[in-house]
Parts: sequence; C-alpha cells; structure tokens
Amino acid sequence: MSGGMLYGGDEIGALVFDLGHHSLRVGYAQEDTPKAEIPAVVGVGEDPGATTATKNDAMDIDDKKPDGNITQSGSKYYVDTTILHVPRKGMEVASYMKDGMIEDWDHFEKILDYTYAKVIQSDAEYHPVLFSESPWNVRSKREKLTELMFEKYNVPAYFLVKNAVLAAFANGRATGIVVDSGATHTSAVPVQDGFVLTQAIVKSPLGGDYISMQCRQFLQEQEIDLSPSYLVGSKEVVKDQEKPKWVKKKGLPEVTKSWHNYMVKKLVQDFQATVLQVSETPYDEKIVSSVPAVQYEFPTGYHRDFSTERFRIPEALFDPSMVQMRGGGVGNTMLGVGHIVTTSVGMCDVDVRPALYGSVVVTGGNSFIQGFPERLNRDLSMRIPSSMRLKVISANGCAERRFGAWIGGSILASIGTFQQMWISSQEYEESGKSQVERKCP
Amino acid sequence: MASGVTVADACKTTYEEIKKDKKHRYVIFHIKDEKQIDVEVIAPREATYDAFLEDLQKGGPEECRYGLFDFEYTHQCQGTSEASKKQKLFLMSWCPDTARVKKKMLYSSSFDALKKSLVGVHKSVQATDLAEASEEAVEEKLRANDRN
Repeated sequence: MSGGMLYGGDEIGALVFDLGHHSLRVGYAQEDTPKAEIPAVVGVGEDPGATTATKNDAMDIDDKKPDGNITQSGSKYYVDTTILHVPRKGMEVASYMKDGMIEDWDHFEKILDYTYAKVIQSDAEYHPVLFSESPWNVRSKREKLTELMFEKYNVPAYFLVKNAVLAAFANGRATGIVVDSGATHTSAVPVQDGFVLTQAIVKSPLGGDYISMQCRQFLQEQEIDLSPSYLVGSKEVVKDQEKPKWVKKKGLPEVTKSWHNYMVKKLVQDFQATVLQVSETPYDEKIVSSVPAVQYEFPTGYHRDFSTERFRIPEALFDPSMVQMRGGGVGNTMLGVGHIVTTSVGMCDVDVRPALYGSVVVTGGNSFIQGFPERLNRDLSMRIPSSMRLKVISANGCAERRFGAWIGGSILASIGTFQQMWISSQEYEESGKSQVERKCP
Repeated sequence: MASGVTVADACKTTYEEIKKDKKHRYVIFHIKDEKQIDVEVIAPREATYDAFLEDLQKGGPEECRYGLFDFEYTHQCQGTSEASKKQKLFLMSWCPDTARVKKKMLYSSSFDALKKSLVGVHKSVQATDLAEASEEAVEEKLRANDRN
C-alpha cells in the first residue's frame, strides 16, 4: 500500500465493538476487558410526556451514570441495563439483531449514540473503530455498517473482522474450528490461516435462548411462580418447597408484555447459569440422580432443590432427540453440538481436517454451562477417527471466554503494524463502501 | 485477516541456508518490537530435537515463538528391502496456553505471513502444549502423507 494512505492510529485509542445477540461489548483497544456490556435490546417508550416521572426515578437509582434516555421524534429510547430494568408504562422491548446480523438499524444507531455519549464520553470522529461480525454476515450489511460509521459518525478509520477469527487468534491458533455457542444459535466455523472457510459453516438454533425457553417451560410446568424481582415488594422466609409468601409492590406502572417477558427471561437466565450442568456422559437418569442437587431461590422467596432436570434440559444441546421428549416436535431435524463440528469439518478439505480437530476452540456465553467443553470433548472423541488428534481449547478465565472475541479485537487494534490495515476515511472517500470487501475479507 | 507484521530478510536467507545448503538444524524466530519477524537462534547441524524444544521455550511460559526444524527419519516403502532416510522441513508456531493473550494474538495472526514467505516449507504445526510439540506428535504428522 502506498505511504500516503497509512493511517497513524496509535496516538488515540481505537474502539472495539463486539456485537452479539445477548449484548454489545464495547471498550478501548489495548484494555483487558470491555468498558461496557450493553444488552442488545432497546426499550421504546411511546408517550414521552408520561414518562417524565419515571425518568427521575432512574436518575435516583444511579446518579453517577446519567440515564440513556434519548428522545427523538415522539418516541423515547431506553438503553443499557440500569435504565432498561426500571418498570415504565408502555415501554416495549425490542432486539435489533437477527440471525447474528444487525436488523433494525434505527435502534442500533440509538445504541451507538448512547455508547459514544455515556460509555466512551468522547466524539466518534477521534477514534478508529473495529467491529466484529458474524462469519455469515452478508455483503449489503457489511457495506451499510461501513457507510454508517463513515457518513454518520465520521470515524477516522474502520475495520471489520469475523468474530470467529478473533476467537481463534486469541487462543493462539491461526487454523482451527471455532465452536461458538451463543444466545440464539450454536455454530461451528472453520478458520484456516486466519480466514473463515465460509462454505463449511454449520449452525443450529440450539443456543442459550433455546435453553432459557426450555427452563421456563419446565418451571411453569412445575407451577413455580416466575415473578421477576421488580414485582416483589416484600417477602418472608419460607421452608423448602413451601408456598412463597410475598406481597406485590404497589404503584407499579402498567408495563408492556414484551418488557415483562424480558424481565422473566433475565430471571430464567440467572436460574440457568446457577443450576444447569451438562452431564459428562450421555444423559442417564440413574447416574445423574446420584449427583447432589442444587438449591435455587426465586425472587418470590420460594426455594427448592433441582436434581435430574439440571442435566436433562441442557442435554438437548448435545442430543437433540431430547427435544422431542419434551414435546417440542422439531427435535430430530436438528444437530447436536458434536454433530455440528463433525459435519463442518467433513465439508472442509481433507488436508486441513487434522489441523481443525487439533484446535477446537470453544467460545460463547452458552458454553459456560458447567461441563460444556468436557462433554464436547467426549462426544467428539467418540465420533472422529482415532488417527486424528483431538484438542478442545477453552479459555480458562471467565472473562477470557466470555469476551474472547472482544479481547482479540482489542489486541489486534493495538498492534503497531495493524495500523496500516485500517480503512481510512480518505480511502473511503476515494473508493466508497465497497472497500470493506477488499480490505476486510 | 492478518496483523500486518512483516518478515525480515534474514528469515528468508536463513531458510534458504537450511533448505538448500543444510547448514543448520533449526531456527527459532521471534517478533521484534511487535513489528517484524526476525531470527533469534540458529542451531548447528548436530543439535537435537530436545534442544529445539528448549530454545522454543527459552522466553518463559508467557512467551510465544516460531520454530523451523529440519526433521530426519527413516521410512520404508512397501516392497522395498531397504529403509530410506527422509528429511522434511516443518514450521511450528509455539503459543503455550500459559502465554499472555496479547502474545498469542500477535503470533497467531502473523503466522501466515511467515508461512507465505518461506516458500516450500513442507508442513506447519500449531502447538499450544508440549504434547503437540513433541517429537512423536510431529513425526506422526510428517509421516501422514507418506506412502506405505
């Protein structure tokens, strides 16, 4: 590349955005963890006049961090956990992501506005930005994001990397297969020498959200009251499995169904993270019933032990035939995690297969269910030829796996020689948005 | 996707020396100042594999390296009476699990650049622990393409 186009970006910190279905991770390059993790949903209030009172409430709760209310043309937007979790009349909750890609650009812009104003507290035009994207992102959306960042936010430089590549690099591999179990799906993405083999990506809709749905269904079948904590005014201590004694909070505004569901989902996700575990061997009621049960207390004060169901629910990730057992009716057509990996590798060239099996990188929030990497290791070792060496890599540190792709991006953007890789605003002006296809394969 | 790290000319010349003239047994490369891949250690012909592993880890458990080794083994083809001696060059990226993420990222995203500049290198090996870097594991990989 000619010298004139070089962008000297080291002076001011570049920003790294890692987009996910559950949340958006954002922060400065070179730091160890993101500055903020913002839920990937936006609350939309329809009537700005009626919300002034609750707006003040939000300020009381958190004084240091001003609320993320953005008023625009009649509707009001609520962004980030603290603001989103306040009950408000008529606030609908909507996600801006679909199938790993940005779907609602208006809402996404609201999130960006909020990020620059409250998290970064600086203007967009001073910071180069590096975005992560899902490996199957389409050209039109990549160009649209490029256009948005340059045209609306005037960023000085921009780069787009596939999150699977970042995750592989952050685990010390240029070649490997990245198993990403996220909120909406689990995918296997083969990476060779830092490039995604797009034609061999395999995904399945069995992810964290699916598990949440199963948990919710199970808890409702058990007739457990799933009132999120915002409803609970006061409660009393009760004995194990006893009916909860609690009083509903008074003076609550009339919340929308989507917001209530969102809060219930948060509750179920907490239950999921605390209680669930993947059995090391295929699910067997006799074996798992001998494992000590785990106690969980709901916001209403109700608490009880959970034993076999903690294993049965996540088993569906590895053995989708379990889905049908629970009355889903769609199970058999889906692939378990082990199967996804072998299918994906099977579509790759014979020569790279050993290298892929030698570096199975596990990442994504859903892989945090206890025992996930161990079970994957076991399932794969049964499926693949014994001549292949298998190695399942999962970052040990909680933050390292949770923010794997973000950390990868953070480091990449801070490497001195990487500065010549950015698409600079000058290049964008000269050649337009199609630059992204050329410079960020 | 690559990091933009370049490869010093010394890497290529040393590679030619080892490939054509068989002057050295192995070479260890490192990334200097996060900018350029350069030669760190050159070992004489009589050096052993164990010495190679030792040099690879000389930076400590938090460091990554690349290694190039001229591997020799005997191989007997089916229907022949005598085993023949084989020499194969392989390139290894050493990113131990214990290394800092920053190093892993830097070395793994620059590996492709080194691989491309050393034209004709037979095999590349990614190692994150000693089991993967061991002589047996490497020999197995090199033999995988041999005919019986």
